[in-house]
Amino acid sequence: MTSEEYLSSQDYQLAKTVAKPGYKVSVQRLNSWFFEKKALKEINLDVKENTVTALIGPSGCGKTTLIRSLNRMNEMTLGARVEGSVFLDDVDIYDRTVDPVIIKRRIGMVFQKPNPFPTMSIYDNVAAGLRLNGIRDKRLINEIVEESLKGAALWDEVKDELGKPGISLSGGQQQRLCIARALAMQPEVLLMDEPTSALDPIASAKIEELMHDLKRDLTIIIVTHNMQQAARVSDFTAFMYLGELIEYGPTTRIFENPDKELTERYISGKFG
Amino acid sequence: MSKRQERMKIIQNAVERTNARRKLMNTVFTYVTIGCVALAMIPLGSILIEVFKNGAGAINAEFLTQPQGSIITGDGGIGPAIQGTLLVMGLASLIGIPVGVLTGIYLSEYARDSKFARAVRFFNNVMTGLPSIVIGIVGFILLVVTVGSFNIMAGAFALSIIMIPIVVGVTEETLKLVPNSVREAGHSLGIPKWKVTIFITLMAAKSGVLTGIVLAMSRIAGETAPLIMTILGTSLFFQCLDCPVDALPLRIWRLASLPYEHAESFGWGAALILILIVLSLSMVLRFFVLRRSGGRAPSLKL
Amino acid sequence: MTRLLDYGLGSLSNLIMKMADLSVRSVDTAIELYEKGDGDKSQLFEWSEQLRVLQDEITELAVELIARYQPVATDLRFIRSCIEISYGFSRFGRYAYDIVDVIGAMGSIAHCDKSAVMEMAKTTTEMIHQSVQALRTRDKTAAEKLYQMDDTVDALYRKHLREAITPSTKKGTNDMVKDPRCYVSTLLILRYLERMADHACYVGDAVNYIVTGSSSPRR
Repeated sequence: MTSEEYLSSQDYQLAKTVAKPGYKVSVQRLNSWFFEKKALKEINLDVKENTVTALIGPSGCGKTTLIRSLNRMNEMTLGARVEGSVFLDDVDIYDRTVDPVIIKRRIGMVFQKPNPFPTMSIYDNVAAGLRLNGIRDKRLINEIVEESLKGAALWDEVKDELGKPGISLSGGQQQRLCIARALAMQPEVLLMDEPTSALDPIASAKIEELMHDLKRDLTIIIVTHNMQQAARVSDFTAFMYLGELIEYGPTTRIFENPDKELTERYISGKFG
Repeated sequence: MSKRQERMKIIQNAVERTNARRKLMNTVFTYVTIGCVALAMIPLGSILIEVFKNGAGAINAEFLTQPQGSIITGDGGIGPAIQGTLLVMGLASLIGIPVGVLTGIYLSEYARDSKFARAVRFFNNVMTGLPSIVIGIVGFILLVVTVGSFNIMAGAFALSIIMIPIVVGVTEETLKLVPNSVREAGHSLGIPKWKVTIFITLMAAKSGVLTGIVLAMSRIAGETAPLIMTILGTSLFFQCLDCPVDALPLRIWRLASLPYEHAESFGWGAALILILIVLSLSMVLRFFVLRRSGGRAPSLKL
Repeated sequence: MTRLLDYGLGSLSNLIMKMADLSVRSVDTAIELYEKGDGDKSQLFEWSEQLRVLQDEITELAVELIARYQPVATDLRFIRSCIEISYGFSRFGRYAYDIVDVIGAMGSIAHCDKSAVMEMAKTTTEMIHQSVQALRTRDKTAAEKLYQMDDTVDALYRKHLREAITPSTKKGTNDMVKDPRCYVSTLLILRYLERMADHACYVGDAVNYIVTGSSSPRR
């Protein structure tokens, strides 16, 4: 039986996805469509806690779709449909009984372009998630805002001007503000969708260093176009191509001695 | 339990505690928005239905092409009114569109933020809000009194005055939405500024500008007050440049004041035709001009 | 803020200093054993093996750091030099082992005249200590001193070589010639010491390259 036959066989169809102990995030048999077009094909990916995992691959390979499937952000896109499971610890976030809003608290997200809430001050940006979820304790909010800004390595730069609008900061600072905003919700997993593609190298380097510090407390999954960035920041790398996960493993191995020829061709720039 | 875990729990609890209320509010909010959509659509829909119901019966070839005969027996039609409306709108657009678009271009591309530009912008805004009857009086004094009779040019002039501020505003705003990098790319190829403005910037803002123009034309199609003061209305087809002409709004207004049964059905018919003219303008825009060409973009000749 | 590269540079630095300590200890021990005439080479063999493994580790880490973090300027020079220095240190270990190996191969050489070797070993071990010190303190002037000392070592080496091939005129002064074991072992060990001195110079060069960026041509 070829692997394709197996995938379409009844045995496989009936096989249940189950939580994998020891992994923070476990993607199992994830398929995704945009209208009729298949965007993800049978993705299986297990992510360990307190690691940085990079998703790399050419444009349109599905890496952004995959990362957006990990907190059900994908469902907000028109025409998107998902099948399969994504376990966060022992909860399948695609289970019928799971409320996507509650799951998003546990999985933070940082986007490609810095997107602070435009009319809010620096402080309000970080506090927004707490306040709008009904937390009233001012002291607690103060504490969390300060900690989150410190966690995002922004505190020293903004502590005297927390009332200034968030969009008055520089691009790199804005992105760190967005990270602080995500951190305020005390997420367990942080998804980053090309977080430095709109930033200059110095600002990017700061975000990269930040990721190294953040993984002490969280699990980070990052999409990046920049292979060198993947090499620098990640512990594990997943290479995707045409909606499939081609190869996944420790970053040093993927970059020094990839198993698949496709991976080798992509990372050494011989593609297409 | 670490501080972090404690925090997590507080926040998770808060999220879950407010969950039921959040879901309820979500539903309520969704239905309120749907309700408002209904509130907005009901009058519009009922007007359309009413006009179609009452007006459709009156429409036939004679109604569309003949001048009005005896209103008591219901002879003839509203041919002169349709012709007049199209003529006046066409002439008004001939004046209003170039002046409006070019003024918009001037404000957005040339004057930028000079004092003069700010003054123009201010007056433009005032003009937008000017009562149309006042514009009609101005047209009357300037073009009717001097010419000596009600005439089509006075009507076109008055309508173009209404049209210009709308076109100016929309053109300026949509041009400002075109990213500067597009202009810079044009300039970097050594293309003269006026060509960059017309063939690159204006083309990029094409759909917005066209929508604005159609909006302005629809607006003037229904204007009545300035036309009373300028073209007066008649039951004859177009005669000469300094004769009165008819127009649909005028015809509707006159028919509405007549007590006869046929006058009423003629009135509804004329109203339906007016709505159809306005509707067809939008349709033409949507389906022919703004249609996304599936393959390659229409070629641009410089 | 700590750069990502700094974590790698830290481990690289640790590894290289570990090698430095181990190679210095190897050389000191080898000389000591020679002086005592006792040839237990097992420990030195182990150290030499460890040094070789460490050298591999350093090369691997250095390549990884270059590939992953694209280091530039001082960082790049440091990483490149680490590859060279680690080679030098592994040679120290290897020559130290070779010295002890000579003792083992020759059998007892306790009766031989050790003054020639000891004279040269004094300068060579001094050079090795100094090269490690230079690396530790990033002392760019050390290279110059090391080359001066190397001249002394070279001169000594040539002197003893010449003596060895010149038939002895003064009776009894050169008992090296009387016993081939003494004769061969002394020459071999002198050769090893001379090689070590050269490698100490190269370490000095590498340190100079880290600090100034200018690489001096090998002399």
